[in-house]
Amino acid sequence: MSDNFRSILFAMGTALICSLLLTAASSGLKPYQQENIDVDRKKNILKAIGLVEDSRSYTFDDIKSMYAANITCMQVDSQGQAMQKGDTTGGGLPVYLYTQNGTVAAYVLPINSRGLWGRIHGYLALESDGSTVSGFTVYQHSETPGLGGEIEKNWFQKNFKGKRILDQSGSFVSVGIAKPSVTVSMTAVEKANYVDGISGATLTGRFLSAGLKEILSEYEPVSIRFRSKRMLTVPQDRQTCEDEQ
Amino acid sequence: MRLTQSRYFKAFSEPLIQNNPISMQMLGICSALAVTVQLKTAIVMGLSLTFVLAFSNLTISSMRHVIPRNIRMIVELSVIASLVIIADQVLRAFFYDISKQLSVFVGLIITNCIVMGRAETFALGNPPGLSFLDGLGNGAGYGSVLISVALIREVLGAGKFLGIGIIPESLYRAGYENMGFMQLAPAAFIIIGLLVWLQKSLVKN
Repeated sequence: MSDNFRSILFAMGTALICSLLLTAASSGLKPYQQENIDVDRKKNILKAIGLVEDSRSYTFDDIKSMYAANITCMQVDSQGQAMQKGDTTGGGLPVYLYTQNGTVAAYVLPINSRGLWGRIHGYLALESDGSTVSGFTVYQHSETPGLGGEIEKNWFQKNFKGKRILDQSGSFVSVGIAKPSVTVSMTAVEKANYVDGISGATLTGRFLSAGLKEILSEYEPVSIRFRSKRMLTVPQDRQTCEDEQ
Repeated sequence: MRLTQSRYFKAFSEPLIQNNPISMQMLGICSALAVTVQLKTAIVMGLSLTFVLAFSNLTISSMRHVIPRNIRMIVELSVIASLVIIADQVLRAFFYDISKQLSVFVGLIITNCIVMGRAETFALGNPPGLSFLDGLGNGAGYGSVLISVALIREVLGAGKFLGIGIIPESLYRAGYENMGFMQLAPAAFIIIGLLVWLQKSLVKN
């Protein structure tokens, strides 16, 4: 047997054993990881509306029961109308509603935006007036740690609270990320629509601003309904979201 | 023969202090800067690296007579990479919060020069038992530096120990402030530098 042939055979054997091990680890641990991811998503929805604080720790059951008690998810069509149960036309957009004493206090939009290295997944919560941001969270991203990765940090996210997606005349402008910071680069009027940027993460900010604008304008029909007080209770017979079924 | 003079004991104990991978060999500095803001992440990172290092040394050492010379680095790397992915998957399944904080740095154990360095210089030339102990010792040496740096950074930078506040409220009211600089990477550089200085002057005497 020649040396080269032996090397190739050895490499193939190693590759086979390693891939078997990795497959076993990945599929064996999948259910645990999936549960972690689900709970983490729920936690982020609750954090966006301000029910979960960063400084406290919560058990899985805390998060699950808080989620079940406060959040309902429904699908809306492109006109912002709640879709009926059993509607199979598809193309619905999920909206998470935060209800307090039977009325909707805030609604949460899932964010899936382009980032510098990959998709940025998170949630943006808006108050029931349809124009004020009540919170922003990120639960999955692949930005550079220490630079764009700062989007997952509290100091960045807490600046979103109280920002508005409308300008002073009431037309839609979205909420964006300033460069470098709001106090330096924005006029007094614009300050309501921008949060401080991150040094060294110009592109992450630019992509996330664009992503937020795209998603917010997609959901604008829903926000208009909130602004005109036409969406104050959770609709009956709503189309539920996939993750609730 | 006394226990402390056996070569098994030496394989484990030498990398702890005399031949510490970070403070003597200057390896693995990058991750030592990144994950030492908090004690918790430093401990988990130290354990992950120890696991990878011990088992990669063990595996490579047991195969050392059959690995073809011309592809030995590729084989070493696939063993190391598989172990790192397993460690990462386990962290994601059972320590999700910590694994999110560690982000890419668990994956980057693959490129940590300590792992490849021990495989090349030790595991290829020594029996499995000895190599395993060498891996444990190097992992512990790496982990102990990480933990010392993280302890200083967390206590001075955030006033906390393992996430629990230890600086009394009255001290804050009297004007004490956390040292924000300790939260940044350059602080770790300075602390590691001081540790190296301390250690070199201690070992020499």
